[in-house]
Amino acid sequence: MKSKFRIVLRKELKETLRDRRALSLLLMFVLMYPMLVGLVLHRQVDRATRPEREGVELAVIGAGQAPSLMNQLRQRNVNITELEAMPEEEITAVLRRQNVAAVLRLGDDFSDHYNAMRPARVELWYDSASDTARKMDEVEYVLRLYNNNIAGARMLAHGVSPANLNPVLVQKYDTGTSASRSANTISTMLGIFFIPAFMFCMSTAVDSTAGERERRSLEVLMAQPVRPSDLIIGKWLAASLLSIVGITLELAIAHGILKWLPLEEIGLSWRLGWRDLAMVCLASATLSMFAAALEIALAINARSFKEAQTVVSFTMIVPLVPVILVPMMNLTTSWWMYMVPVLSNQTLLRELAKGQSIGMLPFLQTFFSSLLLAMLCVWYTERRMKSEKYMMTV
Amino acid sequence: MIEVQNLCKRFGNVQALAGASFTARDGIITALLGPNGAGKTTLLRTLVGLLQRDHGTIAIDGIDPAVDPMSVRRNVGVLTDQFGLYERLTAREYLQYFGQLNDMEEQAIENRTREVVELLSLEDIIDRRTKGFSQGQRIKVALARTLLHRPRHLLLDEPSRGLDVMSTRALRRALASLKADGCCVIMATHVMQEVIHSCDDVIVIARGTTVTQGTPQQLCERAGLSSLEDAFVRLVGTEEGIEL
Repeated sequence: MKSKFRIVLRKELKETLRDRRALSLLLMFVLMYPMLVGLVLHRQVDRATRPEREGVELAVIGAGQAPSLMNQLRQRNVNITELEAMPEEEITAVLRRQNVAAVLRLGDDFSDHYNAMRPARVELWYDSASDTARKMDEVEYVLRLYNNNIAGARMLAHGVSPANLNPVLVQKYDTGTSASRSANTISTMLGIFFIPAFMFCMSTAVDSTAGERERRSLEVLMAQPVRPSDLIIGKWLAASLLSIVGITLELAIAHGILKWLPLEEIGLSWRLGWRDLAMVCLASATLSMFAAALEIALAINARSFKEAQTVVSFTMIVPLVPVILVPMMNLTTSWWMYMVPVLSNQTLLRELAKGQSIGMLPFLQTFFSSLLLAMLCVWYTERRMKSEKYMMTV
Repeated sequence: MIEVQNLCKRFGNVQALAGASFTARDGIITALLGPNGAGKTTLLRTLVGLLQRDHGTIAIDGIDPAVDPMSVRRNVGVLTDQFGLYERLTAREYLQYFGQLNDMEEQAIENRTREVVELLSLEDIIDRRTKGFSQGQRIKVALARTLLHRPRHLLLDEPSRGLDVMSTRALRRALASLKADGCCVIMATHVMQEVIHSCDDVIVIARGTTVTQGTPQQLCERAGLSSLEDAFVRLVGTEEGIEL
């Protein structure tokens, strides 16, 4: 007897393609996910490049007391707004308006202390809750430089070499390439791309099992000369196919967006070619198949569409575990990661984004680990369908 | 021909079938009469191999459904008491799907669809999506599905429920043509009118076992009553069909 899963597959696909609600949901996720990630990254890039373009806005109280400091700040592209003396609450209010990165307050006795060579107090007011960290670094750098210059000049005046100021000379070398730094930052975001694999197939998986049972058409179907395995495989492949198409489209759109964004500006990278992407999509096809199989295995036991939907919604937690927990644990990439669905896909994409060449093995591991689990779920479902207990309640 | 001997089936503490025996001959419409819970659904499911029996023998044209369920199902059309159509498919696509599952060629499906559409007067609904069909329309489409692959045996669970007069006539026409073709039809029903009108043989089943089998006249004679309904109640034992 020739296998009949193709007939079932064709019919389930036809039905799904006529379900407007399921399709619009699919389309929404396909577009929404990459767009959302793109938007977040775009904002980061925008924020990171802004200080260079427009300089740092700094409000200064008592600027007249330190003209040379003001000059040095101006040379470093810091725009100075001079303010009158004001109480502390007003300074907080000025910062809250976010027009300036920080407020620099020179005390009234600044010149006295400065001229007497006592530490002259300068207050730097800033709001660490707002994202002005980069601008703050800039201001602090100028202040440190100014400090060193004055100290050097004073020591020279006393006949001491300014070299004494630096008993240890620190020279920094950052070996982290922008590419490897990006990995951890967008690791979570990459994982997010694979979560919809569990959503795209949900309506088909649930509708063709629990839904069919609720409408009481399953008994008729099982009374046909078709083996339960053909029914399950047909339904499973229909749900899988939807998910595979969804994920592939989504990754392609995401790839387009990430390639287009100037990610280097924030030290990230997306060094994937279309060929790599195709390989990732291929290796991730089994993730969709696993998602569909898992959902069918869960939905088969539910008596109604609603019940199945509730149970299956819990599967959404499955992909969240690796996506959220693993980056938190700060693990180094190792072989077992390619054996865990979702985590494997995420790791694969991350390593490729870093520009690492990883060889064929991780692709194969990713592909087959999900496939194996999918098969297990299908096997369980088939056994369940054959059981008498199940037949009784159909 | 369907031959059942001493069929037993137990679910936990419930003895659904307790030694049912009967023979349903070809070219005859056999009514399956029994109160609710008598074991009709279990019997029909066991006949197509969806459930395994505990004891007894079943032979459908000599084939045991427990041994070769696929051959049996290919030769049996089942209309269950509950069924759903696929709301997003048209009636024609629904028939096509089941035709394919029954190994029919596309051309054969097309030809046969035309025949059952005419037989059951489905012309106005065949190309409509089944969403929103009335109960009568649903039954007719399901019945068309049952007849589509020309099974030699038909197991119909209450095919006349919810049908209007015209549809009931269409059903009778269909039954008559099946009979003329020499098919073996078992029809579970609660409508005595239907039994008297269409059926030649009646099996009375209660508490999982066959109480008696015979023509409607024979049943009336055996019970010593003139109406089949009264005879049925007498034969089953009590008003509810459950012995007190």
